[in-house]
Amino acid sequence: MTFRTQFEKELEELKLSLIKMGDLVIKNIHLSLHSFIDMNTDLADKIIKDDKLVNQLEYDIEKECMRIILREQPVAKDLRLITSVLKMITDLERIGDHAADISKLTIFMEKNNKPFVVKQVHKMADASEDMIKMALESFVNQDQTIALKVIESDDIVDDYFTEVQKSVADAIRQNNIDADYAIYLMMVAKYLERIGDHAVNIAEWVIFSILGHHRN
Amino acid sequence: MSNVFTINNLNLHYGDFQALKDISLDVERNKVTALIGPSGCGKSTFLRCLNRMNDLIDDCQIDGEVLYHDNNVYDKNYDVISLRTKVGMVFQKPNPFPMTIFDNIAYGPRCQGIKDKTELTKIVETSLKKAALWEEVKNRLKENAMSLSGGQQQRLCIARAIAMEPEVILMDEPTSALDPIATLKIEQLINDLKENYAIVIVTHSMQQAARISDNTAFFHMGELIEYNTTDIIFTTPANGKTEDYITGRFG
Repeated sequence: MTFRTQFEKELEELKLSLIKMGDLVIKNIHLSLHSFIDMNTDLADKIIKDDKLVNQLEYDIEKECMRIILREQPVAKDLRLITSVLKMITDLERIGDHAADISKLTIFMEKNNKPFVVKQVHKMADASEDMIKMALESFVNQDQTIALKVIESDDIVDDYFTEVQKSVADAIRQNNIDADYAIYLMMVAKYLERIGDHAVNIAEWVIFSILGHHRN
Repeated sequence: MSNVFTINNLNLHYGDFQALKDISLDVERNKVTALIGPSGCGKSTFLRCLNRMNDLIDDCQIDGEVLYHDNNVYDKNYDVISLRTKVGMVFQKPNPFPMTIFDNIAYGPRCQGIKDKTELTKIVETSLKKAALWEEVKNRLKENAMSLSGGQQQRLCIARAIAMEPEVILMDEPTSALDPIATLKIEQLINDLKENYAIVIVTHSMQQAARISDNTAFFHMGELIEYNTTDIIFTTPANGKTEDYITGRFG
């Protein structure tokens, strides 16, 4: 039995806002990689503009969390949930920044027309997008098992990063890659690797909101 | 950690109704212990056991131990008067005696045989200072205590308890009849007083319990469901019933 239907509604809406922000950053990562591979500067421009929307969502959620704390004075699991949301949006915002960073690289290397596609970069993007999706799913369902899976998945992204690094190094040795492009490609890979780290942070906040303490 | 009270397996019946079921709990010195729970959960009954206020209720049967410094206050020969001197009480509604401010505070010491005017004056001043009321009433000690505001009356009652040099102060919803400013003054006072006393407070305001107490006990239907530090109770309670109650999902 609950006497706090309004409060519960607000918590549900908060979760939905977080999903909305999450969906937008996942879309931006996906498109930013395409903008890079396809050298599509129009798309890159759009993503950079959309990053402002991500930032706006962060501010909106932050404001809503403060409002709920003020009006509802949450305790226990509710307090942990809201605290976790406040931390998670920072990670989501940083993920959004990295999607914009990748798009900016697309614009910098506009004139380079010798793309060197490393399939592991796509795999890295897919894996990190999946990690964010799972992290958000674990949050909405308050499911520790899924959150732990996200944390484990980070190794996969890291392994892909090492493979990309090797492929690029080989291509440099064999003179198969433009020097600037090699640098940009490694930066893209590094951003994707960082995105995986932020997904791990989100999963760790989910675990905190469930257990009330941080994972050792 | 030092305990002023150790309660072991306390059961209390009002006639056939069991109001407290097997309560075991320690009250620590220099700490504020909050008792929370829905109406009728037994928290006020428990509070009243600590200075044997339930003795006044017919049909009230108690078993188990309420150890005050290792002596069971429910032992046959226990000196109840001295217990109530050491374990003072402040009630929900301020209850000053219909006499002057000075005489309210001096009442207890006089009952104890202190007649010396200088000594009584000193006790009155010290007690009012400790209760953060001195500055407001020092020039009107001869006025009737009933002329004070509700918040001042409640601090007067706290000063009256302090005048007996107690070790523990029991408070039964001491701010529920007060406005927010008077409430904050009492809360600040409670925080100051714990330096010298152990305070046990019954409150219906969970925010108040979270603000002012060090330990919180959650009672439900006569049972002690959970007792822990206030930080743990309000962030990571172990029991689902506690969680439901403090988050407002439970009637």
